[in-house]
Amino acid sequence: MFEQKKFTVSHAPFWHVGSSVSTRSYNIIFAALPAVLFGVFTYGIPAVGVIALSVSSAITWEIAFNKVAKRPPCIGDGNAAMIGLLLAMLLPATAPWWLVITGTFVAVIIGKQIYGGIGANPFNPVLVSLAILTLSWKNFLDFNEVLVNYDFSYPMAYPLASLKHFGVFAISNLKPAALLMGQQSGGIGAIFGLGLILGGIYLIIRGYIRWEISISFLAGVWITALLFNMADPAHYAGPVFHLVTGYTLIGAFFLATEDSSSPVNFIPMLIYGASAGVLTVLIRNIGAFADGVVFAILIANLINPLVDKIRPKALGKVI
Amino acid sequence: MTPKRELQIAFGLIIILLLVGVISYAAFPAKPPEVPIRMYYKSVAGNAMFDHKTHFAESGYALDCTQCHHHPPYPENLDDAILKCGYCHKALAKGQNYPDSCLDCHDEADLEDSKIAKKSDAFHSQCIGCHKEAGSGPTDCNACHVL
Repeated sequence: MFEQKKFTVSHAPFWHVGSSVSTRSYNIIFAALPAVLFGVFTYGIPAVGVIALSVSSAITWEIAFNKVAKRPPCIGDGNAAMIGLLLAMLLPATAPWWLVITGTFVAVIIGKQIYGGIGANPFNPVLVSLAILTLSWKNFLDFNEVLVNYDFSYPMAYPLASLKHFGVFAISNLKPAALLMGQQSGGIGAIFGLGLILGGIYLIIRGYIRWEISISFLAGVWITALLFNMADPAHYAGPVFHLVTGYTLIGAFFLATEDSSSPVNFIPMLIYGASAGVLTVLIRNIGAFADGVVFAILIANLINPLVDKIRPKALGKVI
Repeated sequence: MTPKRELQIAFGLIIILLLVGVISYAAFPAKPPEVPIRMYYKSVAGNAMFDHKTHFAESGYALDCTQCHHHPPYPENLDDAILKCGYCHKALAKGQNYPDSCLDCHDEADLEDSKIAKKSDAFHSQCIGCHKEAGSGPTDCNACHVL
């Protein structure tokens, strides 16, 4: 008997690229910083409070769930911190502390952990949370109401609410370039469009998000808004206005691109992004809410498993 | 980054940001400005936002305070005399002709039996009346109220 050398054979991947979930999370946090810092600069200490409480409470909920579920702690992957930051970016700077803590509870526990944790959530946890907060305490998310004490050199009426309730005339004095530079009321990290675009480009170049989803989402918004505008320019705003207001840009680069609730194949990504974009404008123009991004992406999350069935043809064949 | 290091970062974030958050909320609560900038009125007929600053600021319509805050008509000290609209214009109970707040300054015997308009009526009269008089500003319901 000779000594047979045994090899351990495992399936792919054979080589680790060196990237990790934590790198991904902290890169997304890094990409969001321009918009976050602009929000802090604009709204001051209250915005710092919301962001800090949101991130810390999101991580705390996650470690608490780990303990209850008797699982190893997974807070090191940075996903909970990222969820907390993204939720804070959507909230107004005046959000009360209990709203922030409830929001992170819904996002981390109901939006993610009860499905099995990272990678298993069918919906974007941040959007699940914001949808529930919107339906439960809509007054605390009415930017016109909660930001009445802020005074800047530009109009502080929430642009999408002005459009919805008072028509195109009410937004005729708003310049798209100024809106893109953050001269509008809205969520802490959602007003600075240019910062969100820069963050999005960084994430696309580094490969942390897929450009197909972002671009198809923006194209869906643009084309649908253009069609409405062409049909009745007196009632419906132009496509550029829809691109630079509300949650459109944060939705395109930070929310619709959430990995476990979005498709992985090329055609499905285009369908997913475009349908979220189309729904956004449909909700804004003929729906009940001033902004449609939250519910549009949640509905697109719903069709994600279905559209992801459209797969590339497999190589080879079974005889 | 090792898993241990990642955990340390996460726990560090919890502690530092919790402290920052609590201090921000507790030590720096948002204070409303002395003179309101915008006011948001809730109504079953649709909420309405009033841009207070645009009405009184020099860069806006530069209205005199007493053009709206009309009581007392000739105050000795303007700052003390400006009352919030809702201080007098409030819903009255059945049989009540004036709100209790009148008694803060007046004796009951001095008060006439004249009904004070409730806030919504006073606003409608004041806003629409002034806008019609000036020939500018909204006068239709859905130009102010979110319907």
